[in-house]
Amino acid sequence: MSQIDQCPSTTGKKDSTKARPKHSERTPHAIVGVAGSGRAYWRSVEDALDKPEFRDWLEREFPAGASELMKGSRRSFMKIMGASVALAGALTIPGCRRPEHAIMPYSQRTPEETIPGKAMFFASSFPLPGGGAEGILVESHEGRPTKIEGNPLHSINRGRSSLWAQAGLLQMYDPDRLTDPVFSDVDGSARSWDDVQAWTKQHFAKFEGTTGQGLAFIVEKKGSPTRDALRTRILKKWPEAKWVSYDALQSDDVVRGSAMAFGKPMREIYSLDKASVIVALDRDFLHHEPMSLVYARQYAAGRRALTTKADMNRLYAVESAFTITGGKADHRLQLAPSVIPAVVVALAKEVLSKDGVKKSNALTQALANINTPQGLTLDAKVEKWVKALASDLAGENLGKSAVMPGASLPAPVQALVHAINDALGNVGKTVSYLAMGEDEAASSVGGMRELTDAINAKAINTLVCLNVNPVYDAPAELNFAEVFAKVPMRITLSVDTNETVMASNWRLNGAHFLEAWGDTEAYDGTIAPIQPLIAPLYDGKSDIEVLAMLAGEEKWKGYDLVRGAWEKKVGAGGTGGFEKAWRRALHDGVLAGTGGAAADVGTDIGTKAAQALAGFSLTTGPNSGAMDVVFSVGHVADGRYANVAWVQEIPDPISKIVWDNVAYVSPRTAKAMGIEQQRETKEKRGGRMVTITIGEQMMQIAAWTMPGVADNTIVLPLGYGREVCGRVGKGVGFNTYRLRGSASRRVASGATIAATTAGSRWYNVSSTQQHGSMQGRALVREVDLAAWKNHGHEDLHKNDPYGNEVTLNFAEQLGELSHTPSNLSIYKNPYNNSKGDPAPGSVYSKGPQWGMTIDLTTCIGCDVCTIACQAENNIPVVGKIEVNKHREMHWIRVDRYFVTDANRAAKEADPSDDAISVSFQPVACVHCENAPCETVCPVNATVHGPEGMNYMAYNRCIGTRYCANNCPYKVRRFNFFDFGVAKFNGDHKLKDALPDGGPKNVNLIPPRLRDRLDEITKMQMNPNVTVRSRGVMEKCSYCVQRVNEARIEMKLTDLTTAGSTPIPDGFFQTACQQACPTGAITFGDILDTETMYDDDPAFPGGKRKGSLVHNMREHGRSYMLLGFLNTRPRTTHMVSVLNPNPEIRVPVDNPLGHEHDHDHDHDHGHDHDHDHTRGGKERMQQDTGHKLSLTVLGPGAGVHA
Amino acid sequence: MSAIHPDEIMAGRLTGSGMPPPEMRRDPVTIDGTIIDDPSVRAPLVTGGLSFHDVTNAVCGYAENKPGKWWLPVFGFTSSVAGLGTFMILYLIITGVGVWGLNNRVDWAWDITNFVFWIGIGHAGTLISAILCLLKQKWRTSINRAAEAMTIFAVVCAATYPGIHVGRAWMAWMMFPIPNANGIWPNFRSPLLWDLFAVSTYGTVSLLFWYMGMIPDFATLRDRAALDLIKNPNSKTVLPFVQIRVAAVRAVVYGLLSMGWRFSHRHWHRYEKAYMLLAGISTPLVLSVHSIVSTDFATSVLPGWHTTIFPPYFVAGAIFGGFAMVLMLMIPSRELFPYMKNLITARHLENMAKIITVTGSMVGFAYSMEFFIAWYSGNEYELFAFTNRAFGPYWWAYWTMIFCNVVSPQLFWFKFARKSALWIFVVSAFVTVGMWFERFVIIVTSLHRTFLPGAWGMFFPTAVDILTFVGTLGIFTTLFLLFLRFLPVFAMSEVKNVMPQANPHHPMYGHGHHSESGGTGPHSESGATQKGGH
Repeated sequence: MSQIDQCPSTTGKKDSTKARPKHSERTPHAIVGVAGSGRAYWRSVEDALDKPEFRDWLEREFPAGASELMKGSRRSFMKIMGASVALAGALTIPGCRRPEHAIMPYSQRTPEETIPGKAMFFASSFPLPGGGAEGILVESHEGRPTKIEGNPLHSINRGRSSLWAQAGLLQMYDPDRLTDPVFSDVDGSARSWDDVQAWTKQHFAKFEGTTGQGLAFIVEKKGSPTRDALRTRILKKWPEAKWVSYDALQSDDVVRGSAMAFGKPMREIYSLDKASVIVALDRDFLHHEPMSLVYARQYAAGRRALTTKADMNRLYAVESAFTITGGKADHRLQLAPSVIPAVVVALAKEVLSKDGVKKSNALTQALANINTPQGLTLDAKVEKWVKALASDLAGENLGKSAVMPGASLPAPVQALVHAINDALGNVGKTVSYLAMGEDEAASSVGGMRELTDAINAKAINTLVCLNVNPVYDAPAELNFAEVFAKVPMRITLSVDTNETVMASNWRLNGAHFLEAWGDTEAYDGTIAPIQPLIAPLYDGKSDIEVLAMLAGEEKWKGYDLVRGAWEKKVGAGGTGGFEKAWRRALHDGVLAGTGGAAADVGTDIGTKAAQALAGFSLTTGPNSGAMDVVFSVGHVADGRYANVAWVQEIPDPISKIVWDNVAYVSPRTAKAMGIEQQRETKEKRGGRMVTITIGEQMMQIAAWTMPGVADNTIVLPLGYGREVCGRVGKGVGFNTYRLRGSASRRVASGATIAATTAGSRWYNVSSTQQHGSMQGRALVREVDLAAWKNHGHEDLHKNDPYGNEVTLNFAEQLGELSHTPSNLSIYKNPYNNSKGDPAPGSVYSKGPQWGMTIDLTTCIGCDVCTIACQAENNIPVVGKIEVNKHREMHWIRVDRYFVTDANRAAKEADPSDDAISVSFQPVACVHCENAPCETVCPVNATVHGPEGMNYMAYNRCIGTRYCANNCPYKVRRFNFFDFGVAKFNGDHKLKDALPDGGPKNVNLIPPRLRDRLDEITKMQMNPNVTVRSRGVMEKCSYCVQRVNEARIEMKLTDLTTAGSTPIPDGFFQTACQQACPTGAITFGDILDTETMYDDDPAFPGGKRKGSLVHNMREHGRSYMLLGFLNTRPRTTHMVSVLNPNPEIRVPVDNPLGHEHDHDHDHDHGHDHDHDHTRGGKERMQQDTGHKLSLTVLGPGAGVHA
Repeated sequence: MSAIHPDEIMAGRLTGSGMPPPEMRRDPVTIDGTIIDDPSVRAPLVTGGLSFHDVTNAVCGYAENKPGKWWLPVFGFTSSVAGLGTFMILYLIITGVGVWGLNNRVDWAWDITNFVFWIGIGHAGTLISAILCLLKQKWRTSINRAAEAMTIFAVVCAATYPGIHVGRAWMAWMMFPIPNANGIWPNFRSPLLWDLFAVSTYGTVSLLFWYMGMIPDFATLRDRAALDLIKNPNSKTVLPFVQIRVAAVRAVVYGLLSMGWRFSHRHWHRYEKAYMLLAGISTPLVLSVHSIVSTDFATSVLPGWHTTIFPPYFVAGAIFGGFAMVLMLMIPSRELFPYMKNLITARHLENMAKIITVTGSMVGFAYSMEFFIAWYSGNEYELFAFTNRAFGPYWWAYWTMIFCNVVSPQLFWFKFARKSALWIFVVSAFVTVGMWFERFVIIVTSLHRTFLPGAWGMFFPTAVDILTFVGTLGIFTTLFLLFLRFLPVFAMSEVKNVMPQANPHHPMYGHGHHSESGGTGPHSESGATQKGGH
């Protein structure tokens, strides 16, 4: 297949007069019947998948099995492939020429040749929900996109990717998507896009020559030069038309705040890599923000602590409930959202009083004039905290800090934070600014309110909604669902089935971003193309195409629109003109020369902020009768990912709850209100149903006790409780938009909460982790920077950790191994006859030997590794009921432990009430060299490979599950049902026979009576990874398919040395490593000790000897989780280093406590003056030799246990 | 001692005038079979003054005559339960192991609990047959057959679980070392494989032992059926319209089963040799099977499983649980079958009660040693595992176990309890429950909270879990009822061996050999006359 054929939308017209059967009804021989072109080719492969023999072939356990050759089905597959290619070529010939506009897609590998079975990579980009974008590389297997990865050339991604980017793939393969345009006014049957075009031509004719009165558009907020150009054209044509750019999650305060500070709305862009002190004011900048990938990368870059001399940045967080940012913070202040402005004001006062800061008398005056109500006093602890923070920001850190305002802060406070940055000299150094576009700056709420008024005044007769769902997520008091119905003609384009589209007259099926042309503008201004990877599965159209069509434009194909817009923007400059720039952009996935520009914001920010603060008054905190409410954003974003099963099953990073949203309250509040959840029992693993009321809005939801939530504060995640949705997301969770009026965007006040008395009292909640305490075990090891600097050494293990004479490295001294006697075994492991690690004589002494390290300092617990692994390795989702039974299948999980303050009044309350921090620990199969799973498997189904990997032979596995029992890390996952093959939440044949349509959990129906995986979902599967049958065990394979691919590649590219060239470090990455935004995961050959690499900025002079994983593994911070069991894990974890401010908490200098701290061990029971223990977490109890590790939460003090 | 002059007896024997008067047939020592308190007097092992003939009639009678009215309804019930269990197993295999409550935190639960439970039950039979045989404990003779039968049936139930609990039951054959083209052998390092060999060896030897012991009794049944066939030409047919007589069927079936046994001295000689050999082979098996089952746990790395005390502790527990189950079966049988009380006397029950107290105390010691070592080792993971057993979410299971296994058998320090079949039954029931919980506690509480608290979780059984277990109880009781109905429940020759009459000094030595009876004794001359027809 030539590249030219890769791009479906480059080709001619589709024969759309032919009534297209629904996907499921397509004839097996559609391949022959399609007239057309390259696009027909793509559809034909998809149709070929419907052939019975092909389906049979797919369902086999080993689709690539050699035995298939005998039966000829593999050959017939090849025939189909060959025929398709030939046909695709042949069908373009009647057009007498190739399509005019060739695409040169970026490909990591050889772009000239397509080898069946070998994936190709195409650069594209992905619009983030609510604005911003990411650059992506899409892996394509024979035309099926199977995996999304970050584009290394894109400034946002640099090869990393977000959870939403990963989820985008499954969203495209959603079988519940809209399949055809439907005009519900007539008969609700499927139409063709020609019908749509004809109809719109007729309908919009009446606006021709008018000013567009009566016409309104609601479009999603997104950065797209093409759409901006279309907007300009449309508003030029119809100046009276209403144009609402809408994002349910937008906070007007952010826009207004920056407008107050700078005179016009600006988006601020931080350079956290240049910041020594980072202050997050109720802002989760590490997660689910347009710049999160960048910030996470920069934050991590400042914390690597690879040498004992390296300095680290220091992160402060003020927040009302744990976010991953607050969890990772060195210092976290937990306050109700309505009190946080007071802290910001106090901080501003302190900062302005310091020497060296840029003073502003007006601002000082304005701060003094702020109205502080009676009863609002910050307690001494907070005062001390703020003072310490202010002195940390001033002094030597001037110009080296970043103060980041969260969306929940009121606009004047936002302006004040900008002024703080200005006063600290950060502007232009650690923070720069870009002007917001008109669409971006427009108020979603304001626009919706105006539109609602206009509709109520019957001033709107045609409303076009493009990829928005206001019927579901518009501000509660607008009653938009009713208002919407009043519009005579509602035209809605949507990719997935949602509330708005189903309430419309015209339901237009949209094209997914992997299916259509488009472009994006990232938050830092980088412009990138969106290229289609596949012809629209359901023949959908993109929003720009629909806009252009409605506007009656001649050239309304996506390709033309994008190219046209870019041509205008870029012009014909440079050598080779636009064509070259265009091709380059398509290849790289980035339009060269965009991004990075900074706008001037002036120097009078302090004065402007002072003006903004005029008349601003603080509020007292919440109380039990008037609580604060925080509307938080979770994995499903504004609700658009509700039907993506992967997203639903990725646990919330803090609560670890899946498939639900619940009202989080603090343990104390829950107790006071009598709404604590049940402990884990069989029937009621659930939260108490409560009624929450804000003003006139009221809803019922399950309450859930969470450490880290401020008292009298309720946290309500948005985006759940979808009523019209696909089968996956329908009815999952509670619709919290019902409580969210236009006045309360991120936070609200004055809420009441009461246990529900009528109806069901309990609600089942599934979470992947019940227990929040580390039980004082040395699992996540954390030290303060001072300890690392004074006692740490980057040295390698001086000796083997298991021999007689050992020198343990810094990290191992913190754990059990320092108390474990030498491990002398009379058993001679045939696979490892050396004590060394790895040593001469061992089968592990020959490279490559694969290993992984996970740096807990930089791991932010965002769960992207989990979803990337899921996408790569065909890991099934199991659903809420099965997760409730602990049967989730994720190969890598992130364990989350709460850390409490050791100085809390002992035994006063549940210690988890006072969680001050969160520790994250990703755990996947650690590929033990002495694997406990291997010895116990009776059938040799899990065995060790010569490269140190623990293999899982699915075909050999009979499912005794002994391996899983014996795995100390509990990383093995058993297919209790046909998770991989049977259709998740599909139908079954016993529906009529059983009462109530059979069990809620369809897994209980024998698989032969259940629906199998549908053809569309199957297309997502990675062909290089077996789809596991029921009854077999599975677990992390270290992405063995990628290893093997790399090995083959190496052999092919270096024939001279007969394939003996070692695979260089970084030649390939595992899926989790690749996605990790902070680079916390490294993977590679641990025996690659000598090769010089000169492109690693983390090392002095950019020079590194040996592979990165070798360096990390031998690092002083590297330890083996449960290493005392002598499992010899190949995945090691690295000690987390914290950087506390000595003014707030004296760092623990000597975590080992062997010398001068010894007395302390004896009297720690009554000595509370040791203020320097962060939760006592680092303190070791040495004297007894068996009390190992870390007092985190006391034993038995679990959160729910 | 006796009022009858020995000469009279001799005269009677010589003249063949039959049985002495009834008063003479009363037990010379205890009269009614109660336990004698006088330690100088050995209580008889068969009471009621039964003669050899009576024993033969009684034991063969169980197989030849219709049982009481209770049998059919009870059998109907137990076989329905067994059928339900079979259905559950089919459902499990068709649908997936997920129909049980197992999960990725607790990958074994009721399946392996039940497996170890049943294997443990299976221990008593062979222990009674083999070890007590080697130790010349004569009181074993009247309980060994039933205990062996129980062993076989328990092994059947036990062996079901490993077969069905695996994810792909249809691939379970890959456990066996079958030579194959791929050259893949089972993993001989895996305790599960040792288990497979241990249990199958144990099952095989137990079956052989049981069957071999029954051969002389099958022959007796065969001969009695043959006599019946000759003597009663109009005896019952199988069905009214099928003119095959029941006795004929019996003669053929028992004839096949008796493998040509002719009661010759040579047969007896070889029989006894073989019996001793099998006893010798079985004895280490009794110790090895449960030791190896315990290595399923002991060789793992899990706190709570990784314990060297497991092999002896498991064996003691198995004997403990097995004896309790024998008693649970024997005590109702004594009530329901005629003469059984004379064969299984109060003394038998008392002996077994004592063993229960001994082994119960042994497991109690093991429980406390586990705790001590967990504390003494200084390993916090180990200590946590045991603290969690007693005070974690499954505390109730732990304390149920302690009460049933350690506390309740202490009742047998009191004579009233040892003497009372009812008390013994109650305590045995407790012990059986307690031993089930012991396995549950070891398996589930060790698994549900292991090294990483992030991977902790609970296990809750589903209805299928429960019904499968109930189903195996049904299979077990059904098989045992069939055994009571159709097979020789007592080893007649052995019982007769320990009867007073077997003592040459006994006044009634050799009595009871009627020409028409099929009764035999190991030294019976008339046994030869029996086979006169051959």
